[in-house]
Amino acid sequence: MAASISGYTFSSVCYHSANSNSDHEGFLLGEVRQEETVSISDTQISSAELIQVVEIHNHDPCAQLFSFYDYAGKINEESLNSILKDRRKSVIGWYRFRRNTQQQMSFREQIIHKQLTELLGVPDLVFLLFSFISTANSSTHALEYVLFRPNRSRFNQRITLTIPNLGNTSQQEYKVSSVPNTSLSYTQVIKEHGAEFFDKDGVMKDIRTIFQVYSALQDKVQAVCGEVEQSERVKEKIQEDVNKLKQQIALRKRKTAEEEKRLRESQNADSHSTPEENTEPSLASPLSRITFHTPSAPERPSTSPNPPSYADLLSQDDSLLSSSSPPTSAALLPRPQAVGSPGHPTPGPLGMALGLGTPYLGNGDGSSSDSLDRQAAGQEDDEDDEDDDEEEEDEDSSEYENLVSEAAHLPVGSASILAQGRPAALSPDGDARGSQTT
Amino acid sequence: MNNMSPEVALHRISPELRPLLCSVVRNGRVGLDSTNCLRVTDLKTGCTSLTPGPCCDRFKLHIPYAGETLKWDIIFNARYPELPPDFIFGEDVEFLPEPSELPHLVQWDAGNPECLLQLVKELIQQYHHYQYQRLRESSRLLFEYDSLLEDPNYGRNMEIYAGRKNSWTGEFSARFLLKLPVDFSDIPVYLLKDTALDPGEDVALLSVSFEDAEATQVFPKLYLSPSIEHALGGSSALHIPAFPSGGCLIDYVPQVCQLLTNKVQYVIQGYHKRREYIAAFLSHFGTGMVEYDAEGFTKLTLLLMWKDFCFLVHVDLPLYFPRDQPTLTFQSVYHFTNSGQLYSQVQKSYPYSPRWDGNEMAKRAKAYFKSFIPQFQEGAFANGKL
Repeated sequence: MAASISGYTFSSVCYHSANSNSDHEGFLLGEVRQEETVSISDTQISSAELIQVVEIHNHDPCAQLFSFYDYAGKINEESLNSILKDRRKSVIGWYRFRRNTQQQMSFREQIIHKQLTELLGVPDLVFLLFSFISTANSSTHALEYVLFRPNRSRFNQRITLTIPNLGNTSQQEYKVSSVPNTSLSYTQVIKEHGAEFFDKDGVMKDIRTIFQVYSALQDKVQAVCGEVEQSERVKEKIQEDVNKLKQQIALRKRKTAEEEKRLRESQNADSHSTPEENTEPSLASPLSRITFHTPSAPERPSTSPNPPSYADLLSQDDSLLSSSSPPTSAALLPRPQAVGSPGHPTPGPLGMALGLGTPYLGNGDGSSSDSLDRQAAGQEDDEDDEDDDEEEEDEDSSEYENLVSEAAHLPVGSASILAQGRPAALSPDGDARGSQTT
Repeated sequence: MNNMSPEVALHRISPELRPLLCSVVRNGRVGLDSTNCLRVTDLKTGCTSLTPGPCCDRFKLHIPYAGETLKWDIIFNARYPELPPDFIFGEDVEFLPEPSELPHLVQWDAGNPECLLQLVKELIQQYHHYQYQRLRESSRLLFEYDSLLEDPNYGRNMEIYAGRKNSWTGEFSARFLLKLPVDFSDIPVYLLKDTALDPGEDVALLSVSFEDAEATQVFPKLYLSPSIEHALGGSSALHIPAFPSGGCLIDYVPQVCQLLTNKVQYVIQGYHKRREYIAAFLSHFGTGMVEYDAEGFTKLTLLLMWKDFCFLVHVDLPLYFPRDQPTLTFQSVYHFTNSGQLYSQVQKSYPYSPRWDGNEMAKRAKAYFKSFIPQFQEGAFANGKL
């Protein structure tokens, strides 16, 4: 059993008691409730503890001694009623104050307690005993209080009385007790001014406004979700289109590659020095692109369904290798690959040449094959839409400038060399574009 | 605070309560043991500490009972002196008398100075009843009590204290305090007046302690009021037989009683016998009597002459005369010893019989003197100097 008394009630009792010039007594009003605590620990699943909590809300001091009992300690019920009036139901105990005496229930107190238990019908009536001890020279006064439960067994009679917010200074917060405020004035004021804080349901207005803000935010979030969904769909569609176009590009590349092949073979049968400069410059951009693409055809990105066979590529390479480059092809010399540059894992012309043959399905640096796509796309731009990949155009044009000048110098016959060189030239530029070889 | 003299207590107590306390402190004798009167200690006040004194209204009262001392708190209110007091019964937390059995509480009259004393007496009665209830836990001891109760000699003058059970062994202990119905009135006054204390009532109390419920450890003790103790010859008079194992109080107590009565009788008889003895000597030796103890009749001095040899005879009569033989001391009037004393000889054994009456003893003494004196005279001449 636990008991608690609010600080103001306690101080009020002390005030009444200390100001009396003799012993003092009165009644304690409050309520008793049962509290069940369920605790879960590592050793037990759950243990329920049922304790009775006595809460003292108020007190009713008696004006004088022997006001409701006689010399023999017999209680006069009428006097009791006239003292308690309608508070009789909320009596949970009574108290007595006496100076300089022991903390023990006296003879008359025990008799009265028994009768009160019966009359008031409270089986666990409590008795609060105040004892005031002063030293001989009145320098120190001690107020001691003990709460008794005399109706229980003799060995279990004392209960600890806690006064919330008194004593425990480690707790920073002000503990609010569950003692209801029964004052009429208080209820009146709350009624009058309550409307400013509470709405008709008794819920605080602030809570409602906050809730409204929350709802608005939620709606916005939902809307944004919709927008995101739409844009995602658009993006998806565009992605699909891009993929389709890439496929087409690849297809065309294949076709042109085959045409070129046939063309070359027929040209080889005639002469080697067929100037293609005219054609080339006139078709500088497309041709250069195309020629560039020739060697890079084998480097078709993975999106192409029919990558050229390795044998084809190798034969191509052989033909490329066999032809020697003119001394003016200093520019034709493969540009040195930056070692360690991304996407160039195998340095060396052979590697490069061979690398040309190998279809490169990806960049060494892990960048997506978009760079290759860009290449392919860039070349196809003239033929198809250039608008698809705006970004790639810029890059392509910058590179194509270099390559166009080179292409201008080179005969078509040495297209193979060119082819060799260009890709090689291309390769070192791969830093911006990513790698193509190997 | 402790051992406060009654006067100090009366001085400190609130004036309105003073008469009540006065009768308790001055005249309060409660219970069998009336040699210990009621004591008051720990006077405190129930008024605010700034109240000018004297304003004490609560105190501790020490009451002797059955060999124990009860310490009860009595609580008044100085501002309301007409109200009856409240009590805290010390360690007897279960003692709760019925107010209807306390008429002086129910009709408390603060104007009657004896009211408090009477109330305390009533409470003691209830306490006695309460102890009897506790005694019922042991059938053996209950039997003892009931058997004693039936005897009118002892039943009305008995206090019992049923002690707390020994918490270790669970043993039950009790103490019986009985006032022995021995008549001390015939003891010669001279024996009784020789005490430093206020004699009070002459009483003999027998305390029997039972250390266990089966009465296997019983310790009896006899308490005599100081004058009686002195009259009966000091602490040796307190030797009583041990409690027989398996015996009962109803047998043992009369035994002790008889023993004491016999002793008293001896003393009384002795007195009378001594008186008779000295009277006889007076009549026989007449003018030879120098002096004698006229009160207690314990001493007698004769001056006798035999063949011009004068000598003194001192007769010392013991307490248990005639059972014990009187001591004769012969003293020469002429001779001194080396230490400056008169030469004397003590004779303790001479023809004597306790069955003789006074006259016979005087005659025999005379005869003995005649036979012994020559011997003495020679001795005196030989060993003493003039």
